[in-house]
Amino acid sequence: MANQTPAVVMDNGTGFSKLGFAGNDSPSFVFPTAIATKGGVGGAGGSGSGRPAVANKPSFLTGGAGGSNLSAKRGTEDLDFFIGDEALTAATGPGYGIHYPVRHGQVENWDHMERFWSNSIFKYLRVEPEDHYFLLTEPPLNPPENRENTAEIMFESFNCAGLYIAVQAVLALAASWTSSKVSDRSLTGIVVDSGDGVTHVIPVAEGYVIGSSIKSIPIAGRDITYFVQSLLRDRGEPDSSLKTAERVKEEYCYVCPDMVKEFAKFDKEPNRFLKHTVTQPNGKTSTVDVGYERFLAPEIFFNPEIWSSDFLTPLPTVVDGVIQQSPIDVRRGLYKNIVLSGGSTLYRDFGRRLQRDIKHMVDDRIRASEARSGGARSGGLEVQVISHKRQRHGPWFGGSLLGQTPEFRSYCHTKAEYDEIGPSIVRRFALLGGPGST
Amino acid sequence: MPAYHSIFLNDQDVRVLGNFALLPLRTRTRGPAYTLPPLPSGTSELDIDGNDESYDPLDEILSLFRANTFFRNFEIKGPADRLLIYGILFVSECLGKVKATMGRKEAEKALLNTALDQFAIPGDASFPLNQAFEAPRDRQDAETLRQYLSQVRQELAMRLLARIYADGPMPSKASQF
Repeated sequence: MANQTPAVVMDNGTGFSKLGFAGNDSPSFVFPTAIATKGGVGGAGGSGSGRPAVANKPSFLTGGAGGSNLSAKRGTEDLDFFIGDEALTAATGPGYGIHYPVRHGQVENWDHMERFWSNSIFKYLRVEPEDHYFLLTEPPLNPPENRENTAEIMFESFNCAGLYIAVQAVLALAASWTSSKVSDRSLTGIVVDSGDGVTHVIPVAEGYVIGSSIKSIPIAGRDITYFVQSLLRDRGEPDSSLKTAERVKEEYCYVCPDMVKEFAKFDKEPNRFLKHTVTQPNGKTSTVDVGYERFLAPEIFFNPEIWSSDFLTPLPTVVDGVIQQSPIDVRRGLYKNIVLSGGSTLYRDFGRRLQRDIKHMVDDRIRASEARSGGARSGGLEVQVISHKRQRHGPWFGGSLLGQTPEFRSYCHTKAEYDEIGPSIVRRFALLGGPGST
Repeated sequence: MPAYHSIFLNDQDVRVLGNFALLPLRTRTRGPAYTLPPLPSGTSELDIDGNDESYDPLDEILSLFRANTFFRNFEIKGPADRLLIYGILFVSECLGKVKATMGRKEAEKALLNTALDQFAIPGDASFPLNQAFEAPRDRQDAETLRQYLSQVRQELAMRLLARIYADGPMPSKASQF
């Protein structure tokens, strides 16, 4: 039966795209959401400009409007592009310019995105879209027009069998069901999603994102890397490239309970100082000492002051603030289910520290209000931070989990429904995995 | 979480000059400070913590130095915090004087010179943090404060030296702050 094909799960993030099939443990492909096209529109500035690439202005020197306009080039040049790691490689050579079609989680250049998807489906996953249902992700607060655009491309260009678009935060919550700490599979919780560029704190109540109280923090993986690099430079290490800093960050860093005590521990136990060997492409090796940055680097989440001068609110305070801004009847559920997601939350003891700091804040507040009320006792409040094994690709894994359920297809919009009603059909989706489904 | 504060903030009956705390020190340099008992033999200053009777503000300065230098803002909560600030600034001045190529003797000389140098006390025109520090009331207080600070500087310089050259004749890389 054609109906037995697994759903395709695609999570296109700002930095990386995760592609794979529902039911799998991990994505089949993870590569940068980048596309290299001929002509180099946007060119080297593409990575930082924040603008969607536009076609070259017609140059009057080379013979008027027809010359370099993109629409005039609808020939074979249109097919001459690379995505993912190949794009990065191609962009280093001549003739290609690199573009990042997703910015701040949202698709900005639909032409590039369409080509990116077509390559993802046909060249990487090698599937016939007619045979598969698709589960795509979107950031919270994605405008419905973007959903419609996505549906148009998926149904009209690729003719895929069915489509479901889920919010990443909700999928991240679903991914946390694999943790042993989760007893009830509720879709209420707060997602702390820290990737490379930005950290989001997103409250979700019964499968719906509480858009008004989302907060984002301009501190994430890249800042940690820069911070490690600056520490290495200050010490005058033989190699302090960004790549080395990243390796050091990923391999050695952990979260400590208290900075001063950790310094003292390092003094007493010299074996906490490590050495990291870097092998350069030309075969040379050099050794870099790894010291205090092991615990100082993730510390910038908890003490942003040590890294940035304009953002000073620690992560636990932000999470607490977000919960306090949410409707009062879901707060208890939010405190109980703080879910981590994204690569920058993988440091050892990250969850434990977050839980401790939030717990302290909550307990202080309860004590203060008990004192003010004059004798009333509070039943206490449970704070639980959930960290699990699927954190790195949380949203993708959540999609994989939900995409394999038997009722997934009934939640999708099919090609036939799309033809009947039109793109506006994707403005609403039934809540997958919510109450009512098992 | 803001920067770390002194644990001596809550100590009662501390002598205060201007708004600067004159806390007891564990030192052999003579001066106005009340002297704490020396460490029992066999224990190093790394092992004691805030509950020990010999723990003094200088231990605290050295242990908080590395953490607090990362912070840009510091809210002064009391006289003891001012001593902490003074100490931390002095430590960073000292570290500026020690070069990686200096042997222990050389560094000792450089640090002692720094410690014994003419220095400004709160209230002097050349003192850098006069907004945060109050000037002593009269000349006699000023003299006491100067002697106390001199004690702090000498003792701090010696302890810093012991830490930097803890393992070997050259400054250890581990303790490069």
